[in-house]
Amino acid sequence: MTEAIDISVDFAGLRLANPVFTASGTCGYADELADFIDINQLGGFITKSITAKPRKGNPTPRIVETDAGMLNAIGWANVGLDKFIEEKLPVIEKLSVPVFINVAGETISEYIAVVERLAAEQTIAGFELNISCPNVEKGGINFGTDPEQVKEITSAVKKTCGGKMLMVKLAPAVTDISVIARAAVEAGADALSLINTFTAMVIDIETRRPVLANKTGGLSGPAIKPIAVYLVNKVYNEVAKQRRIPILGMGGIRNASDAIEFIIAGASAVAAGTANFIEPGCAVKIIEGIKKYCISHNITNIKDLVGSLGTG
Amino acid sequence: MPEKNSSSDKGQFCATVRANKQIGGRFYRLDLEFQAAAAKTFAKFRPGQFAEFDLSNTALPPAEKIPEDLTDAAGRNVLLRRPFSFVDVNAKKDKTLAEVLYCVVGPASLRMTTLAAGDSVSVIGPLGNGFWVPEGKKRALLVSGGMGAPPLLHLAKVLTGDYPDIEVIAFAGAKTAKDLPFEKQLDGISQQLGFTLPEFAKYGINSQVATEDSSAGFAGMVTDCFKQWLENSNLARDSAIIYACGPEPMLAQVAEIAKEKQIDCQISMERRMACGIGICQSCAVLCRVDGSQETVYKLCCEDGPVFDSKEIVFSG
Repeated sequence: MTEAIDISVDFAGLRLANPVFTASGTCGYADELADFIDINQLGGFITKSITAKPRKGNPTPRIVETDAGMLNAIGWANVGLDKFIEEKLPVIEKLSVPVFINVAGETISEYIAVVERLAAEQTIAGFELNISCPNVEKGGINFGTDPEQVKEITSAVKKTCGGKMLMVKLAPAVTDISVIARAAVEAGADALSLINTFTAMVIDIETRRPVLANKTGGLSGPAIKPIAVYLVNKVYNEVAKQRRIPILGMGGIRNASDAIEFIIAGASAVAAGTANFIEPGCAVKIIEGIKKYCISHNITNIKDLVGSLGTG
Repeated sequence: MPEKNSSSDKGQFCATVRANKQIGGRFYRLDLEFQAAAAKTFAKFRPGQFAEFDLSNTALPPAEKIPEDLTDAAGRNVLLRRPFSFVDVNAKKDKTLAEVLYCVVGPASLRMTTLAAGDSVSVIGPLGNGFWVPEGKKRALLVSGGMGAPPLLHLAKVLTGDYPDIEVIAFAGAKTAKDLPFEKQLDGISQQLGFTLPEFAKYGINSQVATEDSSAGFAGMVTDCFKQWLENSNLARDSAIIYACGPEPMLAQVAEIAKEKQIDCQISMERRMACGIGICQSCAVLCRVDGSQETVYKLCCEDGPVFDSKEIVFSG
């Protein structure tokens, strides 16, 4: 019976075996979760943020738990492009799952430096442009809140990505996310991923200081899920649907029910993020859960579920 | 106990609670039996390694059992797993028994107190690198502060069992006698080094207690107690090694003493962490790059939690 259900997804021309990804920064560079899951079972995999030069990241504490969520301020700690190519790419080459590189930088030329070097790599399916990270002084979200800058960076990267898929990751805390989404799409984005984390703060009332060394961090986890579902639905209705741009929906997804909400809202694919820290095998369980839902709801092709939100 | 850095061999396991006993004040001992599949990985478990416990679905104790200072924190949801070291691990054939000695400090450890015999708990482990024993060591000096004692108690057991040539001496400190995570009453503990703490004495290890308020043992910091002992001993520094676990300011002091006396020293660090498996990058520890002024962040969960004290750049 399960075989009769088609949960494969056409994601901007790329056929994915199923709609479930792991979100950037929650599953390492490549195969770090190998002790827990077979990463090749996923629909897609997104690396942590890669920058042109290595970055040490922010001082500690870098995380703090909140009610139904957590704040992180890692600051793009990563090995840098050279070491990524030397050490991590050979691991990625052995994977059959489509791999997307999350690209970050302080300047447009840094983003381009990463994309240019990786554009010719056969093993990479595409790029996720991080213009929404709230935990860095320069770059990141500073590009992602102004439609003109979104256009500029998206079109510049699009020119260098060698025909590979370009997905733009959106920040949630903007006046109108559809304006940003439209800017990205008009500048050449093949897909949109949303949402990144919300800038937030936790205060230690004994010391009267922020708990995080960075003072603020990005709020993720179940706490942001209803907002993420709303924003995915908004972008789907106002931008993505007419232009046939697929959405990778994320924000607090822990299980299949959460994932299905996003799909109904308009996401063609979904990503588990914070939940990977708690249940490293959750993404595979979500795939199974989606199949079961389709069976029990007589859905033979998951595309019939995408954006199927009733409003009457 | 093999040399440092065995290959990572971890998994997600189910453990059944055998007992969960309050041993005094806010200290408890949780006695676990792991599912049979855990035996292979836990057979290689070394003192100082740790595991991540999922306590998000564990119930809170009734309101009257919640300490007043934790009433607000108690109501907070627990989302992330919590890292715990072990005070004892016994992995034989397909049977893996492990004990956690924990202190109630927040919403997760408060929930942990309600685990009862027969309950099951999800555990990811073993994680990180534990303590290791370099060649030629004849004397091991264990220095703990407050809740730093459990992994050192485990180390004490392994050292006395597997390294009969190494003489072990323990120093355990805390703010007050009540903050020492030991089962027995500490009244009348002498200031002399002797068979004082039953938890160490059962392995034939001499120990000394230090309390900042002089409620038990040496009056002052455990680092002062340890330093005083070092001054009076004729320790052969090459064949000695210090193992320390406790609050960071205390560890910084121990590292300083080790440097001054030129004694090898391993330190177990603590950081806020989410995943425990090297993914989230939260638990960064600032470390020196060999023989240079350069520094780099290593991960407490994957590169540690046990580090060579010379590596660590302590803050403040």
